[in-house]
Amino acid sequence: MTVFLPTFAEPQRFSLVEKLLFAAMAVASAIIFGRRFGAVLSKILKSKKEPAFHLFPIGPRIRDFFLEVLCQTKVIRQRPLPGLAHAFVFWAFLAFALVTLNHCASVFGLGFLDPAGFIGRFYFYIAAVFAVACAVGIFGLFVRRFLVRPKWFGQHLSWESGFIALLIFVLMATYLASFGISGTGTSIRLLWWIHTLALLTFLPIVPYTKHLHLLLSPVTVFLSRGGFSQIPPLAGDEDFGLVAGTDLTQIVSLQAYSCVECGRCTEHCPAANTGKLLNPKEIILGLRDYLNDLGPQSDQPLLGKYNSQEAAFQCTTCGACEFQCPVGIEHVPILVGLRRGAVNTGEWQNDHGAKLFLNLERGSNALGISPTERDKFIEKQQLPLFDGTQEYCLWLGCMGGYDPKGREIVADFARVMNHLGTSYGVLRKEKCTGDPVRRLGNDLLFQQLAEENLKAIAQNKVKKIVTICPHCVRTIQEDWKEYGTPPEIEHHSEFLARFADKLRVPQVPRTWGPGIEDTPLTQSPTPEPGNDKVVFHDPCYLGRYRNVYEEPRTVAALAGNLVEPERNHERSFCCGAGGGLAFLGEETGERVSNVRAAELVATGAQTIATACPFCNSMFRDSLAPQGDAAPQLLDIAQIAARNLPPANSGANNH
Amino acid sequence: MKIIVAIKQVPDRDSQVRVDASGKWIVDTDLQYAMNESDAHALEEALQLKEKTAEAGGEVIVVTAGAESAGTVIREALAKGADRAIHILADDLPSRDSFGVASLLAAAVKDEKPDLILAGLQSEDLGNGQTGVILAELLGLPHATLILNVEKTDIGLRVKRELEEGWFQNIELPTPALLTIQSGGNKLRYATLMGIKRAKTKEVRQVAAASLGADVPAVAVLEQITLPKKQKSTQMLSGSPKEAAAALVEKLRLEVHVL
Repeated sequence: MTVFLPTFAEPQRFSLVEKLLFAAMAVASAIIFGRRFGAVLSKILKSKKEPAFHLFPIGPRIRDFFLEVLCQTKVIRQRPLPGLAHAFVFWAFLAFALVTLNHCASVFGLGFLDPAGFIGRFYFYIAAVFAVACAVGIFGLFVRRFLVRPKWFGQHLSWESGFIALLIFVLMATYLASFGISGTGTSIRLLWWIHTLALLTFLPIVPYTKHLHLLLSPVTVFLSRGGFSQIPPLAGDEDFGLVAGTDLTQIVSLQAYSCVECGRCTEHCPAANTGKLLNPKEIILGLRDYLNDLGPQSDQPLLGKYNSQEAAFQCTTCGACEFQCPVGIEHVPILVGLRRGAVNTGEWQNDHGAKLFLNLERGSNALGISPTERDKFIEKQQLPLFDGTQEYCLWLGCMGGYDPKGREIVADFARVMNHLGTSYGVLRKEKCTGDPVRRLGNDLLFQQLAEENLKAIAQNKVKKIVTICPHCVRTIQEDWKEYGTPPEIEHHSEFLARFADKLRVPQVPRTWGPGIEDTPLTQSPTPEPGNDKVVFHDPCYLGRYRNVYEEPRTVAALAGNLVEPERNHERSFCCGAGGGLAFLGEETGERVSNVRAAELVATGAQTIATACPFCNSMFRDSLAPQGDAAPQLLDIAQIAARNLPPANSGANNH
Repeated sequence: MKIIVAIKQVPDRDSQVRVDASGKWIVDTDLQYAMNESDAHALEEALQLKEKTAEAGGEVIVVTAGAESAGTVIREALAKGADRAIHILADDLPSRDSFGVASLLAAAVKDEKPDLILAGLQSEDLGNGQTGVILAELLGLPHATLILNVEKTDIGLRVKRELEEGWFQNIELPTPALLTIQSGGNKLRYATLMGIKRAKTKEVRQVAAASLGADVPAVAVLEQITLPKKQKSTQMLSGSPKEAAAALVEKLRLEVHVL
């Protein structure tokens, strides 16, 4: 019994005219492609070398390439339906490599895939499956771009995208239509030539449009900086950051040319979502336009015509953009680089910024408060001083040492550590880790703070640090590496999660708090979360930056049943304080913190749990207008401490 | 315009200050030091004047007297934009009075022939407010004090002077002149990486105090330093809210002198 399966058909022979025509078109196409692609490559290669770029270890690079490029994991996971459609198109391109080669070779009688042979038939069928998937996919993407029109694509309709989509569809359609028709005759020849025309039109368009990502993005993903939001060191005495074209490095140029304008970065940007000028996609495209117009050897400032200084300083460095980017663009180092160029040269004139810098030039903390206040706090809370013998150094940070809410968090965390019998001490003197000035691009101040702190830490023989602030954790662990060897450090959520079992059961019956009317003291204590819901807000510097999502939830769950806001885990929406912005005064547009606070309140939770004193501070202000109707706002340390026996120290006063 | 700015390194105002064993000075180990605040505003005013006039030959020179460690305020000044510096090395600065310090400064700058000398209104450690004024007299320059803003005119300078109770005085004076600058008249700039890198190549001329031949006998002698005695005195004001408020205002004005 024979099953009729259509065979792929192609013209059997080509006339001399056809051969010459094809050759001429192919050469023309290749030349146009080559000239433009060569020009782009040249701009990338002529850019400055990236300082401190390490190709090795190569294992993670290969792994990321396999997952993100070949398997399209990030593309699919972060936007499933369009991502899958794109994946079909991409896999079809890969599958069609041999088909296309064969198509061009067959003109000259050099075709190597025989439609009648076993391998040929098998391959053409596989490619056909991909062709169907690709045609469906590209059609869907076309509908999305031109009919659905998501807002982060911008107002402008991209006709080039439409044309490319059409070409791809034609390529797949002509391929599929070539099944089951005769290999002789005009229809097959017509199909063949339409396919050829589409192909040879597609090729030269690629380097002139965002479809350049076909060639560049696999390389871009492979050549990532090797860490999330990794700020490169400055190279030598004349390097002040990204001031002009001459400062653009090969990595930055490569990334600028890889942008596919998908808008995933902008979709998740807290600034772009609250009416600010900043649009991460436009920052990257601004660099691309600069490179196209002026090249990497120009002296013209990067911030000016192509990108605005105002936009660059609206970034909270939350990293949502970089996290989402499917082609490997690393936005945060670029934004910090632009800020460095403005701050290290004194171009940036901002009253609040100058005040922050002057406070840290003279004093020890970002809030501009006298260090004696921190001394008084330590004395009042009876915090043990670090003398080199304890296991942990409890790092207070600026918020923990000087902010009223930060101090409450420290006090409660200290209570928990006392209860657990942890050996810890606080340093007599601390200077700001430098996080806000690092993110704002002030390398002079950051170097001073990092070096002084590293020296003090070595002198005090600190081996392990635990702290309540994710910004301190990040800055100490990663950014200080530029100036020395920082000690081990962990965030208090990682610490507390290890002891969650010890903290779960109340040590005495709860006779106060929600849901308790009359609890006889003879009744054995049982945790009574009741119907209490608690929502945990993932801090940017703990979640996306450090990949810590579950440990704080373990602790937050002590307060009730955990619910999630719409944007959670790696999609958590920034509180608005990062990037030094907490120190920069009132923002334009809607307050980022208000938007996020509203989202958290909308979950209906009775408690909002935070793990960062900045998030806590921002939400405290956002919730203030609601007064007593607002959910209670607690750090996870405070949640953990609630279950402890009443303190015998003065820790509840401040 | 050639402008000289006199700056002083003082203990940071947030430092915990303790009187030393002799009772005549403070314990100066474990202290943070910084540029005197009104001197910083004087420097800022000088830099802004230089940027505004922007003629060829505009120059800002800083001069300080102090120990080797005072070099940090010089570097800070150079990083912020001063062109060169004169550092009068004197390890015994606390034991010199304003007249003595002003004499050193006068000797160090007498050959410079500046158009303008700016000094801070008063120092944050001793707060005499004298050094700038004495320096003007020693150099024979017209001077004005408590200046917030300086403007260059065709015939000299026009300056805004702070008086009390929210009053200001505008004065015109010829150059060369000396002005002592009050804090807050301008916005201080922050030190930048670019500034620090450039400062490395700027000239710092060190000159030993003794070599200036300007040692003069002290005119004022610091007898003793004590911490202010903390007093707590509580007065209960009686009467209706209106009466109590009136009594409070009177006390704040006449007894406490904060209104």
